[in-house]
Amino acid sequence: MPRVPIWATFAIAAVLLASWIAALAGSHRKLAPLSPLDVPRGDYSITLDFPPERFHQLRLQDAGRLVEVRGNTVYMKDMAPSAVREIAGNYWVASIARWDGR
Amino acid sequence: MSRVIALPLALPAPRSSRRLARLLKGFAGVAILLLAWELSVPLVGLGPYFYPAPTHVATAFVDLMRKGILPVYFADSMLRYVAGLSIGAVLGVAGGVLIGLNRGAAMTLSPLLKFLFAIVEVAWIPIFVVWFGYGLKTIVLALVYVVFFPVLYNTLLGVRTAPQILVNALRSLGANRLQVLRYAILPAALPSIITGLRVGAGFAFRGLVFAEIIAAKTGIGYLIFEGTQTQQTARTIVGMIVMGLTWLAIDQLYLRPLERSTVQRWGMSVDAEQRR
Repeated sequence: MPRVPIWATFAIAAVLLASWIAALAGSHRKLAPLSPLDVPRGDYSITLDFPPERFHQLRLQDAGRLVEVRGNTVYMKDMAPSAVREIAGNYWVASIARWDGR
Repeated sequence: MSRVIALPLALPAPRSSRRLARLLKGFAGVAILLLAWELSVPLVGLGPYFYPAPTHVATAFVDLMRKGILPVYFADSMLRYVAGLSIGAVLGVAGGVLIGLNRGAAMTLSPLLKFLFAIVEVAWIPIFVVWFGYGLKTIVLALVYVVFFPVLYNTLLGVRTAPQILVNALRSLGANRLQVLRYAILPAALPSIITGLRVGAGFAFRGLVFAEIIAAKTGIGYLIFEGTQTQQTARTIVGMIVMGLTWLAIDQLYLRPLERSTVQRWGMSVDAEQRR
């Protein structure tokens, strides 16, 4: 039988696992001020460390309704808790706060 | 009478140090190229849009990583690549075995396959976009199309050149068709199948860039295209370098070991012939 390069596969799996754990930890840290996320859908302001590019805006549009971009902050409406958790897992998201929608 | 014994002047270097020396030479080549590129930028006198320096490219790489764009694009590309390669390989092997063992299927399908083989995947992508829209389905289908033919033809070659003496021996021992396939034909065809896989994997990697340029909004191919569209040529070059390095990694870490453990081991390559 062909020998599978185990160490390369193991290294790739380890990197994927580490990034998943890092995303999970980052998500918990960013969502700590918001917990519990029990509202069915809410409005949030999502701040990045840099002005969002088209890539980030498209990702955020998948999670809710993008209303406005001001500096490094994106204002979103109608975000489900699962979508907020998913967005918080991205390391390029610096912080998430509730937004009164105005 | 005295005897003269000739001793070698120096012992050959161990394999690990030879590998290290080869690696260092490779790095030296890359370093010289980068230095020449960096030094040529002020001489050429063009802006970063036309001719970015290696430092611009490195900055673009860091920026793409910091903003989370490159990891997502890379993951999307790899998902499409692995899916397309896996499905194409399975279909190619199955088709090759079917056609190789069945004369009727060979006569019916051969003209059609030759016709389809002549049409490059880039010609199909616009039609796939009409049928399946932009994204994963279209790209995976294009890659399946690219991988299918080399795997199929190599499998066919392997099946048809399986030693008849083994097939006859198994039949005389009372083996059924499935047992003949499992114990004689497939092992004999395996080196050809692996060669087909390696060729298909290379074709699929090139096809991935084409497909993502036309039919995706993410991926390394899209990054290459988007970089020039947004006048960020350094990002295009980052995409090209990532593609090249990824292919090197796939080839060195997976395809070559796989080939070594099958094709070369069983004496079907030039290297193996020379070693004897």
